[in-house]
Amino acid sequence: MPVPDEQSAPFWKAASDHVLTVAKCSKCDQATLPPDLTCPHCHSTAPDFRFVPVEGGARIRTWAVIRRSFLSGFKVPFVLVDAELDAYPDLRLIGQLLDGADAKLSIGAPVVVEFEDLAPGISVPAFRLKVAA
Amino acid sequence: MSGLFKARNEVALVGFAHSKVVRRADRPLGVTAVETARAAIADAGLSVDMIDGFVSSPLLPTSGDHQVEDGVTTVTSAWLSQHIGADPAYAVGFQGIGQLTGSLSIAINAIASGACDYVLFHRALHNPQGGYNDSAMSQARGAMQWAAPQGFFGAMPAIAMAYNEYCQRYGATREAMAHLVVEARKNGARIPWSVWNGKPLTVDQYMAEEMIFEPMCRLDADMPVEGVACFVLTSAERARDLPHRPVYVSGFANGYPRKNRTMIHWTLDDMMEAGDDLSARLWENCGLGPQDIDIPQLYDGFSPFVYIWLESLGFCKRGAAHEFILSGGIDSDRADSLPVMSGGGAIGNGRMHGVPQMLECYLQLSGRAGERQRERATTGLACHSTPHFGGVVVYSNDPG
Ligand SMILES: [Zn+2]
Repeated sequence: MPVPDEQSAPFWKAASDHVLTVAKCSKCDQATLPPDLTCPHCHSTAPDFRFVPVEGGARIRTWAVIRRSFLSGFKVPFVLVDAELDAYPDLRLIGQLLDGADAKLSIGAPVVVEFEDLAPGISVPAFRLKVAA
Repeated sequence: MSGLFKARNEVALVGFAHSKVVRRADRPLGVTAVETARAAIADAGLSVDMIDGFVSSPLLPTSGDHQVEDGVTTVTSAWLSQHIGADPAYAVGFQGIGQLTGSLSIAINAIASGACDYVLFHRALHNPQGGYNDSAMSQARGAMQWAAPQGFFGAMPAIAMAYNEYCQRYGATREAMAHLVVEARKNGARIPWSVWNGKPLTVDQYMAEEMIFEPMCRLDADMPVEGVACFVLTSAERARDLPHRPVYVSGFANGYPRKNRTMIHWTLDDMMEAGDDLSARLWENCGLGPQDIDIPQLYDGFSPFVYIWLESLGFCKRGAAHEFILSGGIDSDRADSLPVMSGGGAIGNGRMHGVPQMLECYLQLSGRAGERQRERATTGLACHSTPHFGGVVVYSNDPG
């Protein structure tokens, strides 16, 4: 369960509304995820990140099937996906695949971000395979 | 920084000692460290009062819920120098990942600069009770909030993803990895102090193992152990009067992360890009190239790292490491091979964090490898961790 802090609160608030956001630096306007203490692009010590909504399309860079979880509370097996956001190819997001452990995956396969509700007001990003229309 | 290392071949390894590597120890790590340090100092033909420098990296590398207590779960250089009864001018530690090459760089520089004359360099690894990386965390704060809520926790899932990207991109098979792990265990089985002494592995055994982090299985990670290794370093000049053939440091390079990522998200491309950069700096620093290295010892704390090092350092073309391994290219029983696992590595010795790589260079280049002694052993290279957190040290027994 994520515990939002002063910096991350807007991200988790948007997530609870099932909206994905990325952090934009107030000095250079470049996007990053997750937000760091300084801006990873212009290295400003006062990035004052704004969280702006981003379209949830992404492409699979890689994945792994997890059959043993170090953390308690996770039902195995599950698939962890590392995907590149279509809107910001440099930004990679890790989330569970909602299609189950037997889904057929490949590098570059399109996915969309969806949210899993963990508790009232708490949702975390995950992925679902985009089915060709 | 550019050009040759100014202190090239002016600092030498002159002795070592290694405790037995065990799954669980029946006494505190610090006690084993003191005894191993004494043995290394004696091996170098020195006495404790002559050691004026202590360097180490004390990190207990786990994501699990464990307390750190100096002398019990870690051994810092300050703790060791006090408990062995030394009176050092210099006792420092390296903080960070890539502990072995990071701390060794500090020790090398200390001798080269004259900050001290004789350094006791050590690494002490503790295996805590309970699951190594298990955590009962239910609330993910700070950097953890971006990873743990998705079930992304501990190094293995991250490495499994990077390795899968390699497999998908270059067509690497599980059989190739089986050959790598079997090679590491074959050599580890021949090492008296290894936790895997006398316990080689077969390809079939590897293939039968469940992929708990598919495409990785348990055998792709080194086993947490308890053990201590100590080395003594001094100047090439002082080394001349000591009992063993000195092994000189020809150069070194370390790498550091450059990209903002979710914690522990070590991507394949981040590692490869850092590897290319580190490799260029390394070869310039030591004045050698991959074709000059007789005893390359690549880091295998997670087996896929060997592919990255093989390719980054220029021993194989990008994407070709798995085929090279599958065709017997790293078989230490072949005289014409590139014996990158001849020291057993982490998989063949237990989680000794870069010690097996360094020790194999020392043993082979000083002519102390016994039955495992290779004929061609003038230069060596030992890696630790990945190119974006770790490093490489190059050795030679030829001071010219
Ligand atoms: Zn910025």
